[in-house]
Amino acid sequence: MEEKIMELLSEEYPDIDFAASDSLVDDGILDSLTITGIIATLSMEFGIVIPYEEIIEENFNSIAGLARMVEKLQ
Amino acid sequence: MNFTDYLFFPVFAAVIIVYFVVPQKKRWIVLLAASIVFFLTWSLEMFPFALFAAFVAWIAARKIEKRYEALNAYTKKQKKAVTKKQTDLTQETKKKCRHILWIAAAVILFMLIYSKIQYVMADIPVLSGIVALLSDLYCTVSRFFEKIPILSYFASDTAAQEGGQFSFLVPLGISYYTLSLVGYLADVYWRKERAERNFGKLLLYALYFPKILEGPIAKHRNIAQQLNEGGNFDYTRLCHGLQRMLWGYFKKLVIADRISLLVTEVYGNYTEYFGTVLFVATVAGAVQLYCDFSGCMDIALGISEVFGIELEENFRRPFFSESAAEFWRRWHITMGVWFKDYIYMPLAVSPKLIRAAGTVKKRAGKRAGKNFMTIVPLAVVWFLTGLWHGTGMNYIVWGIYWGALIILSSVLEPELKKLTKLLHINTESSGYRRFRCIRTFLLFCVSRVITIPGNLHATAEIFRRILFHFSPWEFFDGTLYTIGLDRPDFLLALLTLFILYLVGKKQEQGIAIRQKVDSLFLVWRWLIYLAAIFAVLIFGIYGAGYDASAFVYMNY
Repeated sequence: MEEKIMELLSEEYPDIDFAASDSLVDDGILDSLTITGIIATLSMEFGIVIPYEEIIEENFNSIAGLARMVEKLQ
Repeated sequence: MNFTDYLFFPVFAAVIIVYFVVPQKKRWIVLLAASIVFFLTWSLEMFPFALFAAFVAWIAARKIEKRYEALNAYTKKQKKAVTKKQTDLTQETKKKCRHILWIAAAVILFMLIYSKIQYVMADIPVLSGIVALLSDLYCTVSRFFEKIPILSYFASDTAAQEGGQFSFLVPLGISYYTLSLVGYLADVYWRKERAERNFGKLLLYALYFPKILEGPIAKHRNIAQQLNEGGNFDYTRLCHGLQRMLWGYFKKLVIADRISLLVTEVYGNYTEYFGTVLFVATVAGAVQLYCDFSGCMDIALGISEVFGIELEENFRRPFFSESAAEFWRRWHITMGVWFKDYIYMPLAVSPKLIRAAGTVKKRAGKRAGKNFMTIVPLAVVWFLTGLWHGTGMNYIVWGIYWGALIILSSVLEPELKKLTKLLHINTESSGYRRFRCIRTFLLFCVSRVITIPGNLHATAEIFRRILFHFSPWEFFDGTLYTIGLDRPDFLLALLTLFILYLVGKKQEQGIAIRQKVDSLFLVWRWLIYLAAIFAVLIFGIYGAGYDASAFVYMNY
């Protein structure tokens, strides 16, 4: 799952190094525009609905966090 | 009473003493009592409404949480995997909680919405009846309080002055406490925090006096624990709090109120002035608003720091921003965060919008889908941000202006990058970055011209005069010393702005000014304090009866 998400997001956002940090939100690498873009990409790709409760820093700080969230929602 | 009333200082000193004398567990009660007194001295008539709003939020949050607790208890009992009944129950619980949230938010926001649109409503025959009904209710409440001897001492004489006419303008901090309470409710609904059990503690969160005038719009989960547990006395923190307050008074009384003399004179009689003077007044108006609003925030954060309660920053040197989006991440930060967390994000991640973006992507390509996701929520947020500032057409245009700037800079980012590459612009050079800062500042000045005059006709006329009747010689022929400020006052304003710039620049370089001051030899340190105190006392602008002018953003 992690590899797939990494591939997907790296293609969508080539300027961002998603592997660079485990605190992508806290370090300011992901802003709100990018976060909503990521949500749209993941929702469309995996056919999931990401409820607002899941939009917390912990889930968006790393690819591993995103993968955990997607697996939980599938 | 506000932060610039002379009565505020003895009251504040008394609150500090009582706060640190009572046992730590009871300190929140001291803050609650102080906050209620502060509110009553400003707007007695609005107090029942504020109390009611907090009560609605308290009840609704408790009800939402009880429903979730019941659901969790049921889920725990089920040993099997998720059943259809369980899924249905989850959906049902969420739906009911959503209804509670909507109803409570609507009731709380009603006051805010009503205070904004009452004049619009009064012009529409069908709605004018509602305005009249609420006016009667308001006057009845006012008269009731005026009849109670103790409370009538605090009563503002608004209702009496108007002879019973409705004068429910903009009550103290209405936006700030209503938005705070709605944010709290939404967070409980999204299970980002637990509901407050003690009504008094929730009321303290809503009315906490340092933030009631102009914010910051603090999140409940960020300050509730600090408010409830009470801070310990700390001499360094006391000094830092007082220093910050002093800096705030300097910005408000010495800079903002001085500059406002020029701005008020020019904008009040704009047909008598030409380009140069109007341009100077516009730039001055931008700086005045910053010093007024951020000065109030320095005072609010300083007061709170004295009690050991850390409020969120509302400004981070916005005039050093290189783009419109960055500007709004540095200016009125907590309002931006509120709109982001409670309007932008829920809208941007709603399944309906994502499905619509998916359709756009399939039909018009990947970039169009991405742009759709950017444009729709941002357009809604900026339209609402404009309405929050005012209901006139100029505020709607103001919202569209900022929304368009931010949307275009995001959507056209690839093209802009190509253009800078084509023109061989070194985007990392200090010259280019300085250019971007000045450009962002001028964009802000343009937005001020949209709102300061009060109507779009005047805005258009001011732009016309600035662009087509610009007389550069007015910079040098002494004209600027004849419009609200004489030569010494004008030069003093420039000097204080230079101090403001130097402090900002140092802070941008990561230098903590307060720690620098702390490290100075005692004599030097006290010389700085005394110089600042005397600067505020001597150079501050005080009107009749030594009343400073009200804070600009207090009217929102």
